[in-house]
Amino acid sequence: MSLSLDLCLYLCTAIFSIGVYGVLSRQNIIVILMSLELMLNGVNLAIISFGRYFITVEGAELSGVGASTSQVFVIIVLAIAAAEAAVGLAILLAVYRRWRSTRVSDMRLLKG
Amino acid sequence: MDALVFYISGILMIASALLVVTRKNPVYSAILLVVFFLLTSVNFLVLRSPFLAVIQVLVYGGAIMVLFLFVLMLLNLTEEELDEKVDPRRKLLAGAGSACLFVLLCWAVSSSERIRAAGAVDLTGKVEGKASTAGETREIGKALFSEHILPFEFTSILIFIAIIGAIYLTRTRRTVKRENTLTEEPGEENS
Repeated sequence: MSLSLDLCLYLCTAIFSIGVYGVLSRQNIIVILMSLELMLNGVNLAIISFGRYFITVEGAELSGVGASTSQVFVIIVLAIAAAEAAVGLAILLAVYRRWRSTRVSDMRLLKG
Repeated sequence: MDALVFYISGILMIASALLVVTRKNPVYSAILLVVFFLLTSVNFLVLRSPFLAVIQVLVYGGAIMVLFLFVLMLLNLTEEELDEKVDPRRKLLAGAGSACLFVLLCWAVSSSERIRAAGAVDLTGKVEGKASTAGETREIGKALFSEHILPFEFTSILIFIAIIGAIYLTRTRRTVKRENTLTEEPGEENS
């Protein structure tokens, strides 16, 4: 049994689409932030699969540092995801203090 | 064997992701999201990225989920507040939109010549040469602190700004008024 690149990519696409569905269909901001994390995880998995593919194909020519580029990408995405979650939840707390609601449709102060 | 582990955990990942976005109670969503992160780290291990698998469990499964659950417990939402009252038409539209996105992305993947040519390559196979140590902590450290030092520093600045932003957003503005309400409350209970 072997693992091919396109199969990994289909898995990533499925997870990303489920995340998009969560963002579009939910009203609770906490669940929307969780769906964003799902999407970021799908992208992370895609980056890792691509990196693994290029290492397998061109492994002989790559240096050790060059082969780790995909991993560095994922680490940076992970750091940004952590920052996003922290700021998002801080905004949620501020909004809840002001309006006593976590529903996105209640936040229409900037609506034209 | 490795590929079988990937398939099983991939199917479980999709199942847990679907449960995360469909559960009514956000606490269930959070717990299922932990399961999802653990399965993702299994897939990282199959793709020979042991350091990232550990980081995934530590940062996502530990730090970010604690943050989510902490906020959930802090807000202490009632049954009424948890009721989202989502229009079924909106759900249908969201489902159709994300299904369209899924089909489009799948079409993009399947129509790519390069990815089709890559189908013969086994991602779990052994790698010869210098790149055989790729994914190990030592190599990632070397790459992070030599070639990718600039993005690394920018990320540290970004996290610093995020910390300041989070503290600024969650501060309580009128502490004096809060103290007043705290001292008033026992009196109200007595009367």
